[in-house]
Amino acid sequence: MSNKIILRNNIKFLGNGLQPIVFAHGYGCDQNMWRFITPAFEKDYRIILFDQVGSGNSDQSAYDFEKYSCLKGYVEDLIEICDELHLQKVIFVGHSVSSIIGILASVERPDLFDKLILIGPSPCYINDHGYHGGFTRQDIDELIETLESNYLGWSSFITPVIIGHPEMPEYSEELRNSFCNMNPEIAKHFAKVTFMGDNREDLSKVSTPALIIQCHPDVIAPVEVGEYVHQKIPENTYVLLNTSGHCPHLTAPDQVISSIQSYLKN
Amino acid sequence: MNTQPFLEDAEDLYQNAPFGYMTMRADGLIVNINATLLGWLGFERNEIIHQKSFQDLLGMGGKIYFETHMMPMLHMQGKISEINIELKGKDLTRLPTLVNAKRILDHSGFQSFYRLSVLNITQRKQYEMELIKEKKKAEQTVQRLRQINQELEQFAYTASHDLQAPLNTITGLLGILKKDGYFSTRSDGEGLFSMITNNIGRMRLMIKDLLEYSKIDGNELKFEEVSLNEVCGFALEMIEDQVNENNAIFTITKLPVVIGDKIQLVRLFQNLFGNAIKYRSDAEPRVRVEFEENGDDFTVFVKDNGIGFDQKFTDQIFGFMKRLHSHDRIPGTGIGLSACKRILEIHGGTISAESEPGKGSNFHFTLPKLENNTDH
Repeated sequence: MSNKIILRNNIKFLGNGLQPIVFAHGYGCDQNMWRFITPAFEKDYRIILFDQVGSGNSDQSAYDFEKYSCLKGYVEDLIEICDELHLQKVIFVGHSVSSIIGILASVERPDLFDKLILIGPSPCYINDHGYHGGFTRQDIDELIETLESNYLGWSSFITPVIIGHPEMPEYSEELRNSFCNMNPEIAKHFAKVTFMGDNREDLSKVSTPALIIQCHPDVIAPVEVGEYVHQKIPENTYVLLNTSGHCPHLTAPDQVISSIQSYLKN
Repeated sequence: MNTQPFLEDAEDLYQNAPFGYMTMRADGLIVNINATLLGWLGFERNEIIHQKSFQDLLGMGGKIYFETHMMPMLHMQGKISEINIELKGKDLTRLPTLVNAKRILDHSGFQSFYRLSVLNITQRKQYEMELIKEKKKAEQTVQRLRQINQELEQFAYTASHDLQAPLNTITGLLGILKKDGYFSTRSDGEGLFSMITNNIGRMRLMIKDLLEYSKIDGNELKFEEVSLNEVCGFALEMIEDQVNENNAIFTITKLPVVIGDKIQLVRLFQNLFGNAIKYRSDAEPRVRVEFEENGDDFTVFVKDNGIGFDQKFTDQIFGFMKRLHSHDRIPGTGIGLSACKRILEIHGGTISAESEPGKGSNFHFTLPKLENNTDH
């Protein structure tokens, strides 16, 4: 097992089962966002948690702006993780952009995946000739501006530098957000890659069965988008939760758990 | 004077504090808002409470930020602080704010709410925008300067490199002329010929030094642990002929290991050693190399018994193409010591010298100690 990849993606293992289930967080967060979901799977599954490179406690130095200038870089990482850990018949749970990363990985290596569970997937965020993604180009530019002015919002990386004592963790720890750390430059870059991508063409290539979990209303991935994914992926089950927002695994974890469990049972 | 304690009315303080307050449900629906914030946004109370969610007050970019970062953080940490986000007022005016939020439980203890404090930072924001603008401008300038520098280095390299070829041709042609007897001995021609060859020699030296100098910044650096004793050994090999011709004796004490680019450090010592011989006095050259530790640095000394120079010219000797002697007296280009200075700048060190005419010179430079040099 390669230590390099474990450190790069801050991979953590939970659970007592054999069936591997991999959880991948979405944009702006890290593996901590699965904390309300994983306890329900610990008994029967081998849970693999990781941070996308650039997010959370992943190895920031591994963030190569070239490699991660499209989702392919993240897809490579996911495949590498599965291969390195010798995972087979993986149940992949991806939120937001990571649901697309899972889709792309399953197209490239269908042998690795048994089922895909997609929470709030959107193959394309920007509206385009009759396709409703929910956003315009200007909206995304505005997001980048918000990220720019929230230099301090993502700031655990910056603060120790400002204080001038990067070697004195006792100063920085206090100011550090415990979750969702992200270097501001990476936050901007990942935002562009996430929200400007278009992977609609890839949906029909998915041969792995999928569960789509949709909230309503969800500003980031509106119902129209969920339905679009439902139409395009050949073999899938579509569940509309009775909750709003983009992170049901945080706001309505019970609904998410029962949807996944009943899907896996069948 | 009235010394009665001043009692705040809690409701009045909430409504009219010089600060915006708002309470929202976990899904963002606003359940309370104070008069101050309503005033800033230009809404009536009944237009907001149970009518709008916090997200409704955000632009699209803000909404994404809220859903992907703020909201998850609130759910996981129960609080967020200093989030800079723009709120949309009723007439679509934009209110730049700084938001803190904290989770509270309602009376039943089951449903969670979030209290937000909202600070109007319109003026601060203006200032911040100006700072960001200036920062970007500064970054662009640095970028541009870097590029210009690179181009200049490339230019210096190409120019000096390409000057070599015609010079070689001229030398060759002169050789033919000489051989064919165009400069017969004891004629005016012979004097002119020797002046031409002298000048060609000078130009060749100039091109060689310019090329060397342009290579300092032009070549890719390789920082590694380098033994200065080894470096001195290489430098001496490079000027072996000069050392032998002048019967120079070098005493090199035990020197430290530093982090640096070996090629550049060899060039540094080669220049200093070369000078110690070139600017020799009548006595045979004696050069001593030693070092001291001072705080975070090593200081290395190269002391000679040469002709020395007036202390007041110290700054001048490190200047680019600056010389204290005419080329006719002691040939040179004035590039060697400025190259030394540049090499030390790259290594995070400084160079200086003490001297007195007739009493030899003491060149000394600093290099950071190993542990403080890990950035490279």
